[in-house]
Amino acid sequence: MRGRAAVTAAGLLALTACSTGPSLENRGEVTASPGDSHHLTIGSAGFTESDLLAQMYAQLLNQAGYRTSLLTVANRELYEPALESGQIDVVPEYAATLADWLNAKTHGADAPPVGSPDLEATMKALRELATPRGLTVLPPGRAVDQNAFAVTAAYARQHHLKTLSDLGASKLKVRLAAGDECVQRPYCEPGLKKVYGIDITGIDPKGVGTTQAKRAVQEGRDQMVLTTTTDATLDQFGLVLLADDKHLQNADYVVPVVNRSRAGSARVARALGRLNDVLTTADLADMNRQVDSWRRLPADVARTYLKDKGLLK
Amino acid sequence: MTAPPDDCLARNEWICGAYLSTRRQILLDAVVQHLQLTSVSVLIGLAIALPLAVLARRWTLAAGPVLGVTTILYTIPSLAMFSLLLPLYGLSAGLVVAGLVLYSLTLLVRNILAGLRAVPQETRQAARGLGYGPIRLLLTVELPLALPAAMAGLRIATVSAVSLVTVGAIVGFGGLGNLIYAGMNTYFKAQVLTASVLCVLIAVAADVLLLGVQWLITPWARAARG
Repeated sequence: MRGRAAVTAAGLLALTACSTGPSLENRGEVTASPGDSHHLTIGSAGFTESDLLAQMYAQLLNQAGYRTSLLTVANRELYEPALESGQIDVVPEYAATLADWLNAKTHGADAPPVGSPDLEATMKALRELATPRGLTVLPPGRAVDQNAFAVTAAYARQHHLKTLSDLGASKLKVRLAAGDECVQRPYCEPGLKKVYGIDITGIDPKGVGTTQAKRAVQEGRDQMVLTTTTDATLDQFGLVLLADDKHLQNADYVVPVVNRSRAGSARVARALGRLNDVLTTADLADMNRQVDSWRRLPADVARTYLKDKGLLK
Repeated sequence: MTAPPDDCLARNEWICGAYLSTRRQILLDAVVQHLQLTSVSVLIGLAIALPLAVLARRWTLAAGPVLGVTTILYTIPSLAMFSLLLPLYGLSAGLVVAGLVLYSLTLLVRNILAGLRAVPQETRQAARGLGYGPIRLLLTVELPLALPAAMAGLRIATVSAVSLVTVGAIVGFGGLGNLIYAGMNTYFKAQVLTASVLCVLIAVAADVLLLGVQWLITPWARAARG
């Protein structure tokens, strides 16, 4: 029985060793030709906008004749490997954020960032990183959801803050409510420190734009919160956005990313592409409001929107 | 922008009839998933724990490692456990079940072993004197006498599994946990409260059910009391 303990311990060690990239046995899928699986799993990253986009993708794909199911996963660290392995087939993504994330995964956390405010350059970099992993990045639409930073209106008034540069110049100590990945992302803590000279004393890992994060700022436990340009609930918490005057934030256009061997067909691209010319940043913010403030179901909000725009029969 | 609707959902009330009526199917699906994950993991846990406990009882040398390993497994934080198992199972219900099985082991093994050890030496000798072989002794004397302690362990393991299932929400298989996590992110009071209350109800119902099962399968305990 002592052997059993050793085997278990060895097993746990082995588990921690292999966690990145497609394993040898499914390398073949990476080079395989575009596939067209009848049943597609749409991934959502668990926040409202991701839920809404996933719902719209699912409904458009349903109409195109696919059976779909939705899977909500806490973060990119969990769903991106699943997208590569084909457990998830379609994910709504943000061009620059994903490009930098894949870049860090491929070339290490210290690699120079590839995402930029320039959409073309970002998409090119993103596709170069995604293709070898068996992923296809479909064309971006009009909607863009950039990271944005908000403080309370009172705090902004007291310290005369309008932009992130103002905050850097004020030399205030700032505790930032954000996702725990903020510590590494070039456009979060490192960028705020380097580009704006903001004195970030710590990251409060309450998630991106979650209610807990906003309440922490509202109640003064944190000074600033990482949220997004499509956040429609800021005034509810007495928060105002600080302008990104040095263009730290990148071309985070909404892009569908698919597993090429399972959802790489032109039919999928056509079905999802119909949303590109229609969906705007303001539309997304409005739908976010319906779900976050009015507590409508993401599925209903998505369906109503698609029907209003004539994308769904 | 259209005006916000005026109902208990928009007002974010803790108790909200409109929540129940619009989310009936979602709640039902979540409860079913919760029950499936709990019952499958406890049953698999029991199937593994029983032989381990018998083994530990037969060979005293095995008792230390068996209890040690299962206890160490129990101390792994649940988020870390799911992350460790992720490369093996991917994003699947299997991942959550595997984690819950590992957690149930320590409770089940300890209690079954305690039950087996509590069987009086005289009882065992009497059975042997009557010509009982080791298998018959185990099945007809030792295991029945260990039942009360084993059932106590099973009840604790089941109730703790009901609450641990919620952590599975990080990979999308958390039963009611999916709703609790989503509700917490948007401060959705009715959703958090409803899902939490359902969770507690499932735990209480499971406990009462197991108590009933124990009452049914240990008639001698009733006879002794009556």
